[in-house]
Amino acid sequence: MHGKHLISVALLWAGLTAIGELLVFADLFPPVGSHEAEDFDSIFRFLLILGIPVFTFVIAVVTYAALTWRVRGDQPDEDGPPIRGRGWVPRIWLAITGALAVFVMIHPGLTGLAKLQSSYTAYGWGPEEADLEIDVTAFMWQWTFTYPDGTEISVTKGKEVVIPVNKHVRFNVNSVDVVHSLWIPAFRMKIDAIPGRTTYMTVYPTELGAYNDDQAYRVQCAELCGLDHSKMWLPVRVVTESEFEAWLASLKSEGK
Amino acid sequence: MYAVKSVFGALGLGLIGFYLGLGIVAFLRWLFGYSDPWGGEINIIGGWVLGLFMWLMGIGMWGQWGREWFGLKTYTRQLPGWQRYFTFNTDHKVIGIQYLVTFMVVFFLAGALAMLMRLELAQSGNQFLSNAQYNGTMGLHGILMVAVAVAAVIGGIGNYAVPLMIGAQDMAFPRLNALTFWLVPPVAVGLLATPFLGGIEHGWTAYPPLAIYTNSAQVLFSLSIITFGLTSILGALNFIVTIIYMRAPGLTWGRLPIFVWSMFATSWIALLYTQGFAAALFLVLLDRLGFSFFNTAGGGDPLLYQHVFWFYSHPAVYIMVLPGFGLALELIAHFSRKPLFAYRYAVAAFLGILGLSGVVWAHHMFTSGMPNYLHGPFLVATELISIPTGLIFLSALGTIWLGRLWLKPPMLFALAVIFNFACGGVTGIFLADVPTDIHLQDTYFVVAHFHYTIVGGEIFALFAAIYYYFPKMTGRMYSERLAKLHFWWMFIGFNATFFLMHLPGIKGMNRRIADFPSELDPVNLAISLAGFFLGASFLVFIWNMVYSWVRGPVAEANPWQARTLEWQTSSPPPHENFPVPPVVSGGPYDYGVPGSKHATFPVPSAGFAGAPAGGGGQ
Repeated sequence: MHGKHLISVALLWAGLTAIGELLVFADLFPPVGSHEAEDFDSIFRFLLILGIPVFTFVIAVVTYAALTWRVRGDQPDEDGPPIRGRGWVPRIWLAITGALAVFVMIHPGLTGLAKLQSSYTAYGWGPEEADLEIDVTAFMWQWTFTYPDGTEISVTKGKEVVIPVNKHVRFNVNSVDVVHSLWIPAFRMKIDAIPGRTTYMTVYPTELGAYNDDQAYRVQCAELCGLDHSKMWLPVRVVTESEFEAWLASLKSEGK
Repeated sequence: MYAVKSVFGALGLGLIGFYLGLGIVAFLRWLFGYSDPWGGEINIIGGWVLGLFMWLMGIGMWGQWGREWFGLKTYTRQLPGWQRYFTFNTDHKVIGIQYLVTFMVVFFLAGALAMLMRLELAQSGNQFLSNAQYNGTMGLHGILMVAVAVAAVIGGIGNYAVPLMIGAQDMAFPRLNALTFWLVPPVAVGLLATPFLGGIEHGWTAYPPLAIYTNSAQVLFSLSIITFGLTSILGALNFIVTIIYMRAPGLTWGRLPIFVWSMFATSWIALLYTQGFAAALFLVLLDRLGFSFFNTAGGGDPLLYQHVFWFYSHPAVYIMVLPGFGLALELIAHFSRKPLFAYRYAVAAFLGILGLSGVVWAHHMFTSGMPNYLHGPFLVATELISIPTGLIFLSALGTIWLGRLWLKPPMLFALAVIFNFACGGVTGIFLADVPTDIHLQDTYFVVAHFHYTIVGGEIFALFAAIYYYFPKMTGRMYSERLAKLHFWWMFIGFNATFFLMHLPGIKGMNRRIADFPSELDPVNLAISLAGFFLGASFLVFIWNMVYSWVRGPVAEANPWQARTLEWQTSSPPPHENFPVPPVVSGGPYDYGVPGSKHATFPVPSAGFAGAPAGGGGQ
């Protein structure tokens, strides 16, 4: 009684999954600007590869059932078979969905988290070693970036955040008024700026890039902070180390 | 017209109370030597409290309840026809329809605000709205829709259907039930008045310190939401007591319709967690008056608010979506003409989600800078929720398997719930996973995800329930062709709008912004067009409902040939629901089981003729 239907649904599922998995190849992501972005993209793709069959399974059963077993007259002339689902089917379902959930929890969940919180990408809380530390102060509705030599970048000074490539760059983030959030889409990293405490975010840029080439190179406030929240962003440029030094020096010569 | 007089009278009393409250506070401030006795936000608080009290007394609480406190005789007025809906009526069926109509109106208002937002977001730059106007529109859309999501299904469908489904005459506390509804209009008025005080600037989440610095619209926002929380808590209490104590003889827990189970689990969540939201907003109010719970400047902690707030507001999404699941499973069983597959597992799923709902809140805070050691446990707890949710899918898919699928409008919407939530569930994994959430947090990916779960899961179920119960509520039938047109139009519009919305989120478009990078223009234009298409679908619904309620053909008592109790009485049911109290003798979904019966209506023997209906024996 089930055989023919099971095979048909399996085929439909396989077909839908094949189509759905094409999404993995779509141009979904902003440019990859850092190690963290590589990690994000690969984890996202991995979850997409796993998630699409789950989604298409539901779609396949619902679609197949609606097409095959729908009542064609005015009214159903008889009831369906009284299957109650008390036997092995729910147990197997529970085992499979449970295993899948635990699997995703461990990888990429906890493994990805461990990597994120490992020493060089110290995320969120504890300060760790970094090649360059930049103090960030968020306020309504702008940012100030202070470099180790005292150079300050904000709306009135330079208007562009420049960081060197292939360095661990840590942002020590503060806010003077309300909650903001520091987000650089090209690096896939984000940390809230909370008044009264310092939060940390470390990135390792691997590619040169600039806002003019791609708008994902920007510092964007991602937490609603009032009137001009949508305008609270600055362009970002990733340059080589020598260019970075030259840029810092040129700002110095302009008298900061 | 007694009803019109009563509503306007209560409104007048409420206004008098409001200004009296303002004045009393001003008098006290003057007495204590403040330089601006009228200028404080504390005046609005005083006005709100007294206005709310006098409004409730005026609408009928005094006559039907308050007089009792002083040993006076209470009175009730039985009004005919539509006037019932404008009075302090204790009939759960009247209250259900009051809730439903009120929140459908709110739904369409908030939907119109969404159209306004999509108009602005069709193109980068500011075209139609200033930043301030956009933020106000967005905040109001958010909080109104949250209110609809919390109360439309529970208050509307729950109130109407639960007592009928369990064979009761009414809710356990009918006057409390009426009070619960009549607290709602002040909430709506309060929220809709926020634009006149400058608009909600902080979105529906009201994170301080922003919510402490914003304009005085925040005070109305907080007061409205605290009041709304009160209705939610009182309503939940009523449902829990009703479901435990008012079930018909023979209606054991194992025979309870699955929608009632979902309402039971939901009510516990509402009862246990709603205080969190109310407390958080109450403390924000105090902070605005000079306290420092969350204000860093005075030694407070902004993250504290987020913990307290999400401690309610994550369980709140289950308050929204569990009754939606319950309705979807309920309808799928009836319209597949089969017993609900794996009934016990589905019940376990509802209770499992109830249990897990309280330990996942901080997954909203993965980027908040909370201690790193909290990320792992909340990731694990959040992903555990997919296991009970999976059981609900098992139940739905097992039920339609080999069924006789009667694709009436309610069934189409119920199947769409399963379809949509599959998408919302899968995208939830990306957000539960810390490494992916850090990029996706506060982007349009999140917006797409929660619209898939709440609109796709709950609001589709709400429409399923409206099409299912319309003949029961009104005694009339709607146009099935228009209903199916509405379904396909809404289904396609919804999926087009919100599926596309994932893309700008991944690409780098954050949420709650009036302006976005120009790179994302094409996809945003597409989303806006799809959004307008979705919005237009509701015109079909409104026309169909209004016309059919007035002119529709008379419906049969049981047009769906369903077995549950609410269909074993006339449409609409009599005041006491069943002419004879039912006795339950079997499961609610035993389709295809020869000789099975869910309930019988034994004619009382002569000796019983004088006994009070329901055998209450007080």
